Amino acid sequence: MKQPAPDHTGPDAPSGRDLSTQEVARYSRHLVLPEVAMEGQKRLKAARVLLIGAGGLGSPLGLYLAAAGVGHLGIVDFDVVELSNLQRQVLHGTRDLGRKKTASASDRLRDMNPEIEITTYEAQVTSANALDLIRPYDIVIDGTDNFPTRYLVNDACVLLGKPNVYGSIFRFHGQVSVFSPPAGPCYRCLYPEPPPPESVPSCAEAGVLGVLPGVIGSLQATEAIKLILGKGDPLIGRLLLYDALEMQFREVKIHRDPHCPVCGESPSITKLIDYEEFCAGPAKARATAGMPAEITVEELKARLDRGDDVDILDVRNAEEWILCHIDGATLIPLTELPARFKELDAGREIVVHCKTGVRSAKAMTLLLGAGFRNVKVLRGGITAWAQKIDRTLSGY
Amino acid sequence: MIRVVLPYHLRTLARVDGEVQLAVEGAPSLRSLLDALEERYPMLRGTIRDHGTLNRRPFLRYFACAEDLSLEPPDSLLPAAVTSGAEPFLIVGSIAGG
Ligand SMILES: [Zn+2]
Repeated sequence: MKQPAPDHTGPDAPSGRDLSTQEVARYSRHLVLPEVAMEGQKRLKAARVLLIGAGGLGSPLGLYLAAAGVGHLGIVDFDVVELSNLQRQVLHGTRDLGRKKTASASDRLRDMNPEIEITTYEAQVTSANALDLIRPYDIVIDGTDNFPTRYLVNDACVLLGKPNVYGSIFRFHGQVSVFSPPAGPCYRCLYPEPPPPESVPSCAEAGVLGVLPGVIGSLQATEAIKLILGKGDPLIGRLLLYDALEMQFREVKIHRDPHCPVCGESPSITKLIDYEEFCAGPAKARATAGMPAEITVEELKARLDRGDDVDILDVRNAEEWILCHIDGATLIPLTELPARFKELDAGREIVVHCKTGVRSAKAMTLLLGAGFRNVKVLRGGITAWAQKIDRTLSGY
Repeated sequence: MIRVVLPYHLRTLARVDGEVQLAVEGAPSLRSLLDALEERYPMLRGTIRDHGTLNRRPFLRYFACAEDLSLEPPDSLLPAAVTSGAEPFLIVGSIAGG
């Protein structure tokens, strides 16, 4: 098993847990809080927190936990900083474009607080490395952006008995909780299965309000600090729901499921599983059943150049169509598709695309259900088309 | 009127903003509320409850008055505060963005 090599930076001799004069000055607003004070600040300094994801949620998390003096921060990410990240990922700047997020985060957090140790792991969290990554830490914070990794992080935390400070965002909506069995439920107790991938668009597809991860990530940071201090009432057994449009917080109680496959009374998951497969849903099952359901942008271009008779169906929204579209395509937004089947010719071959592939997979399911037989999804959507075929199109 | 809050992806599908208001005859239960919701918004059929079994889909939960009603039997009556419209019935969906 290959463990990603950590890149470690920090003070050379971080052994003493007493605060230096510099640290006393730096943390003075904490030190005057009776709930933190010297004892709490020393607890923060001794704490080891693993931040999974240095993106939208990871940005405020990293900044606030570093600033607060969490003595050892681990950061896992494998992405590079892209322009479309900067609308919300305030940990990174324009000068960091193209850099690894771990490198950019480490630089920014070192500048924020040189008193702490930072270990970065330039890696994707997988079933092979998750336990080794998480084991040395006291608290895990889930700032990931996809279902497979969230189930993986949950299961690894349950197996190792680590609290998992959970936050997730979508469009204008956020959810926060602290999963810490046996004191409360785990992620699987709440949501035993993910939605089928074709039914729920990703943030890349559906958008996310830039400030939303700032709110949710800051709430996660608050919970992590409270757990370290042992103060206040943690969000264990409670799910906090945030709606930015209504500007409303709602809190609901959540409970352990005695039949939970990972934290229940007789768990069936006793080691990490294949999370991509667990989250794949019917589209993947269809693909693995040998039904050719995809076409690459190169294949489509070659076929169009040959003069093949192919209808291109774009299921994005009208706002996205204005930004860029493939010449000759027909626009029917996914939400309108069921009412507009009759505008399509079931006798012809249809290649359906969206931005990256999520909505087009859903559209294909709808089309197949409506009796269309010759339907393919354009792999990578118009994003791949703009990158590989028509570079005059603007990405978005 | 009963107030129902849908998860965002279903608001888009049903083309509604904010809350949905529903009138349900008699003493409303979980089942009769969801029936009324699907009657008004047929495109929601199969998205909240499974097409065949009418079981709640496992990536959604029902909450009202801060309590989790997801595991209640379908014929359990809704809390009075939901029936009167004082409190909304929340359908919360799993999200994964970060
Ligand atoms: Zn559980």
